[in-house]
Amino acid sequence: MEKQYWKGLEELRNDPEFEKLKNQEFAEELPLEEIFSSKAEANNTTGRRDFLKILGFGVGVATLAACEAPVRKTIPYLIKPEEIVPGVANYYASSYFDGRDYCSIIVKTREGRPIKIEGNELSPITKGGTNARVQASVLSLYDSSRLKTPLIDKGPATWNRVDKAVTDKLVALYGASKPVEEVKDKKGKVVKGGAAKGNAAAGKSGNLRILSSTIISPSTKAVIGDFINKYPGTKHITYDAVSFSGMRMANEETFGSAMIPSYRFDNAKAIVSFDADFLVNWLSPIEYSKQYVAKRKLRGSNKDASMSKHIQFETALSVTGSNADKRIAIKPSEMGSAVLSLYNKIASKAGEPTYNGSDLGKADESIKEAADELWRNKGNALVVSGSNDKNVQILVNQINQLLGSYGVTIDTTTPSNLQQGNDAEVKELIDDMNNGKVDGLILYNVNPVYTLGKAQADAFKTGCAKVSLKVTFTDREDETASIDGFIVAPDNHYLESWNDAEPKKGHVSLSQPTINPLFSTRAAQESLMIWAGIENKSYHDYIQDHWKKNFFHEGKTKEKHLMFEDFWNKSLQDGVVELTAEAAPIEKGKDKPKEVAKDNSKDKTKAAPRTANKTAEAAAGIQKSSGSGFELVVYEKTGLGNGNQANNPWLQELPDPISKVCWDNYLALSPGTAKRMNFKQGDVATVSVNGYSVDVVVLEQPGQAADTGSLAIGYGRTNAGKTSSSKTKVIGVNAYPFSQFVNGSIQYFTAADVKKTAKTYELASTQTHHTMMGRPVVKEASLEEYRKDGKAGNEQEYVVTMDGKQKPEDVDLWASKENPGHPRPNHQWGLSIDLNSCIGCGACVIACTAENNVPVVGKAEVMRSREMHWMRIDRYYSSDAKKGDLSNMEHPAEQPQVVFQPIMCQHCNHAPCETVCPVIATSHSSEGLNQMTYNRCVGTRYCANNCPYKVRRFNWFKYADNPKFDFNMNDDLGKMVLNPDVVVRSRGVMEKCSMCVQRIQETKLVAKKDKRKIKDGEIKMACSQACPTNAITFGDWNDTNSELSLQGKEERSYHLLEELDVKPNVVYQTKIRNVEEAKA
Amino acid sequence: MRKTLIYRSLQILSAMAFVVLISSATFAQDGAALFSGNCTSCHAVGKEVLGPDLKDVSKRRNLEWITKWVKNSGAVIASGDPYATSLFAKFNKTVMPPQNLKDDDIKAIVAYIDAESAKAPKKVVVAASGTSGKAEGDNLGLILVVCGIILLILVLVLGKAVKGLNKVVRQKEGLPAPIERKPLAALWFWMRNNKKLVAIILIVFMSWSTVKGWDTLWNIGVTTGYQPDQPIQFSHKIHAGDNGINCVYCHSGVEHSKTAGIPTANVCMNCHKAIKESDVQLDNGAVATEEIGKIYKALDYNPSTQQYGNNPKPIEWNRVHNLQDFVYFNHSQHVKVGKIECQTCHGPVQEMTTAKQYSKLTMGWCIDCHLATPVQVKGNHYYDKIVDYMDHKHPGDTIKVANIGGTECARCHY
Repeated sequence: MEKQYWKGLEELRNDPEFEKLKNQEFAEELPLEEIFSSKAEANNTTGRRDFLKILGFGVGVATLAACEAPVRKTIPYLIKPEEIVPGVANYYASSYFDGRDYCSIIVKTREGRPIKIEGNELSPITKGGTNARVQASVLSLYDSSRLKTPLIDKGPATWNRVDKAVTDKLVALYGASKPVEEVKDKKGKVVKGGAAKGNAAAGKSGNLRILSSTIISPSTKAVIGDFINKYPGTKHITYDAVSFSGMRMANEETFGSAMIPSYRFDNAKAIVSFDADFLVNWLSPIEYSKQYVAKRKLRGSNKDASMSKHIQFETALSVTGSNADKRIAIKPSEMGSAVLSLYNKIASKAGEPTYNGSDLGKADESIKEAADELWRNKGNALVVSGSNDKNVQILVNQINQLLGSYGVTIDTTTPSNLQQGNDAEVKELIDDMNNGKVDGLILYNVNPVYTLGKAQADAFKTGCAKVSLKVTFTDREDETASIDGFIVAPDNHYLESWNDAEPKKGHVSLSQPTINPLFSTRAAQESLMIWAGIENKSYHDYIQDHWKKNFFHEGKTKEKHLMFEDFWNKSLQDGVVELTAEAAPIEKGKDKPKEVAKDNSKDKTKAAPRTANKTAEAAAGIQKSSGSGFELVVYEKTGLGNGNQANNPWLQELPDPISKVCWDNYLALSPGTAKRMNFKQGDVATVSVNGYSVDVVVLEQPGQAADTGSLAIGYGRTNAGKTSSSKTKVIGVNAYPFSQFVNGSIQYFTAADVKKTAKTYELASTQTHHTMMGRPVVKEASLEEYRKDGKAGNEQEYVVTMDGKQKPEDVDLWASKENPGHPRPNHQWGLSIDLNSCIGCGACVIACTAENNVPVVGKAEVMRSREMHWMRIDRYYSSDAKKGDLSNMEHPAEQPQVVFQPIMCQHCNHAPCETVCPVIATSHSSEGLNQMTYNRCVGTRYCANNCPYKVRRFNWFKYADNPKFDFNMNDDLGKMVLNPDVVVRSRGVMEKCSMCVQRIQETKLVAKKDKRKIKDGEIKMACSQACPTNAITFGDWNDTNSELSLQGKEERSYHLLEELDVKPNVVYQTKIRNVEEAKA
Repeated sequence: MRKTLIYRSLQILSAMAFVVLISSATFAQDGAALFSGNCTSCHAVGKEVLGPDLKDVSKRRNLEWITKWVKNSGAVIASGDPYATSLFAKFNKTVMPPQNLKDDDIKAIVAYIDAESAKAPKKVVVAASGTSGKAEGDNLGLILVVCGIILLILVLVLGKAVKGLNKVVRQKEGLPAPIERKPLAALWFWMRNNKKLVAIILIVFMSWSTVKGWDTLWNIGVTTGYQPDQPIQFSHKIHAGDNGINCVYCHSGVEHSKTAGIPTANVCMNCHKAIKESDVQLDNGAVATEEIGKIYKALDYNPSTQQYGNNPKPIEWNRVHNLQDFVYFNHSQHVKVGKIECQTCHGPVQEMTTAKQYSKLTMGWCIDCHLATPVQVKGNHYYDKIVDYMDHKHPGDTIKVANIGGTECARCHY
């Protein structure tokens, strides 16, 4: 309700000068020189007078503004929606799907504005987890670069014109009979143009193509089906920017069905992954990270602790690889051979035929180790591969079959609907376009000009000229939409639209709009329906009908409902529905997987591969390692992913989990390779492959395979919006053109030519120290050590006092046994962070940004170490250097182990920051919180100097309403994402993690109103709620039975820098690795 | 003997009367609560609101009829009762919604209405009572000014007289006439001779100006008494005062949300669908009918056809209470949990024609209250731990808001 408009002083309300002065953080420099120069005097006699006027006015305004409070408006609803109480948040269940990641979510809205995304705990798939991209998607809703109206010939158009243009073309193609009719609403405004009535005239059949990203919405598929019925000859082709086509092809050969199974990492005791970054990018990462960590959480007795063993073979150091117990860096071209080698080793154990492959040298030992580990855990093992090569995936299938994984760690009965892309069809489409065989092209959620390989993208562009009807549903004028002749019919944001999703067979979920469309946009489905002549029916009704027909049947849903209304409302409220197995509809042309899998689950070892000859073929088709040449691999980053949210400043500023670089992509080379190729960090290299070359900065990345370089996709967008645009500044370089079509699928690595240039370039990195410099910041131990001693790796720290060595907690300047210091009579809030569960994905960082109105500062400020993130995830490489050998402290090993450590304010009970504040702007609460009072702070920054954890952030600028920081907070639209319960900090004050005190206060109030105590787990921090692996737990130390207290009692628990005796309320748990001997 | 008897009987009589009075008073009081809780949104005593004026209702209808009507007016109308049907016709054929009240409750409400009806009718024009208080204050000031002038004249006359007498006495005694000095020189001469007095005057003056200056500085940005003009001359006095409408009826967010909420126009229409005009004139000259018309205009509502148009325009009220952005204040914490009356902070709103900022809304003002106000711990298990702690540490002390951390920064600043 209470939209507040600052209108300035009443009497000065309409003065433009005043408006200007008010809005400017830095008043523009007065053009003194011009005014006083004789030339200006001659030209403009009033220059000096104007100057004096401005000066006088400025002084006047400043004086008046100091005395008079501005008049503020408060505008209530005229008719209040029943469900809205101003000041109270509403929550709606919905589903996030961007063509790639699926996540069941809860959307928090305030006064009708979505402001935060939370995970939906009712979902059996994502189980309340989220990732950075899901968290950041709420900001993409308020993206001012979204299209405000449809476009025809790059100019704004009405929907009526769009409908007419499209249907006219369709009529021309199909020769349909009836002219376009207009549909008018009550006010007489045209809401939509009519469609060509009647079916296609006999004899004429257009060649329409719908090119979309993966669609998991059953209703959308039905809409497309209806469109195809109306316009026969239309073909629907699925194209994923990051393709899993090879895997579907392999499964078609193995199982006779081009499906992707569900993986169960929670059933796997041994996991071997070949370049599959399944914790943050591969297939369904939120689901898998939940499962993966479930098998690696340690609770209770250390004696019988068990963890899965994870071995990762990969080229670039990925998040998954950095969490692996053992990680082997190999070149991308060796990946196939490595899989073949593993197959051979497993096959010889199982007594199956083996095939010849290339020699892998040293890596072979690791493969042997992996094979032993897998074989030892036969029946509970899992091998996955991120390769898009059919042959590799066939071998992986065979390995899993030999290991008896099907039915245990791989579930073929509930296939995943994600990643349906078919690369061969895409290639065919491009050829058809160029051969003039395509009359119409409709693009939905794809941006092929940006995401295709160089050769294909060029061919696509030339092919477009030969297509007469070109439509795209993109929400912005992206790289593809800016080709001449495209009609742009902008789709709603997912938070504005109805939709449904079936990420896995039998698991359906709904998306509901949480805000009215901000602009004149229309759901793509609705556009298709109108063009197909399905009128007088909204997409919402269409979904309802589809659900009634397909999901609401006797015995179809697990929960029984008599009336469809009840079923629908319950589904809408929960967001997710589980269907019984027989009810789940089977996609057309995609039969149930053949019974191979089921047979195997019964008789795991003996079932002979039905496709023995195919295995041989696959083994023969494996690419031989190419030797010593330099290879380039393109990969996805945790933040930007495939680049569809490249205009999202939150994601751009999220430091990469591994390199800690933000606002750029870079060519990662291992330190050894860089040295050999004569590169230093910051040098710019020219990378060229087949006529496409880019200049990109080099980053020395420990862990990168030798003679390889990796470059992230998602960057280098020329038409993403104001953040990355060729008109202003392009962030990073585009790596997609390096992808190649090989054997019918897109491959993401290639041999490349790298040359040094004379240029240098600076990257913005939030962590400049790579190692712990010898201090015990992160504690870790091996599983073996931990089994022997629960405190392994977590040795007690001592401080030296007059009375000898003492535990830090026993030494206290203020309190004694008689006088126990400040009381915490009711609560003592705290956090517990399990380093063994943290995978470093960064979802918490974005969640914190969204919850606490953390400003984006931009690359230049990050380079000055002025990033504002309230929490960070420190990444440490284990160094091989000996303790005390300071010379090597800062240089991590070539193949380091990696640890992630989320750091936020530790809320020390003896906080060093509090004692040095000259104005008591930071103080301690009786609930254990270290409070930061912005309005009291004068910005001396003593506190930040005195903080041992470096968690305090200083506002160097007023980041809101400041054109120099043109991100979401300098944008009326972008500001709508701000949390109204948290103040937007101004310039010159310190800020830091408040432990989401607004959430604590809110829940306390709810409890008080209910006259009850707060339940454990009732309050969740933004970070703990977002975490896909439940690594962060919030609770009350005073509640001895709380999850927090129980975790605090674990032997693995320790306080960060305990020897300082600042008594933090945040506790960490030692990281345990499933390795033979400890490295620490 | 006779005297004592009379006394005794008088005593007994008065005691009986007292008991009767008390019992009827409690009855009426229950009725008051029930009336304000259930009836005030549509009814008033001495006035037609959405429903009929309830004044002397028990004289028009008997209790049995009223009870039947309250419980299910539709049935009474349907039964063909002529009074009921005429009421129904008079009030736009709107049925009074059935009330879930017990017979005793209805009896109590009727008793309350009787008591209210018996009271003198309230003045319709708000102006009378509002201005009288003001006039009194002005008179006082005038009297003071007149007194001051008289005193000043007196001092001047006396000073002149003293001077003249002094001259005469000196002449008589043969002393030389006092040296005539220019006024400034005279002042200087006087000051030299009265150094102590001058010092005292200076000290007093400096102390006074320091205190005044300090106060002025402290009050920068304090907007107590802020009373902006509003687009609609809504009178809290008429609604909350004269008609006794509960604050929460319109400010419904107050128990649920951080904001009490400015009532939305649809809430106004609950009553003003029926109350279309009124000859009440506000003390600022506004005419009620015109102001009601502004609601219709905002909603684009035509009262004669009872139709809503499609050109509504939100009402832009001017905010009276402007808390700084860096303060988090939650109404429901104070009203629902703390059980604080609205008037504690907002003052006698029921007497204000235009809403006015009553309290200082400074941090000191908040803290003063938090230091003094006891926490409503009784029956609220949230506070169990605090109660145990305080019983153990400071037995006998009342638990004040400050004891549960109510003066800590992050309770309001985050």
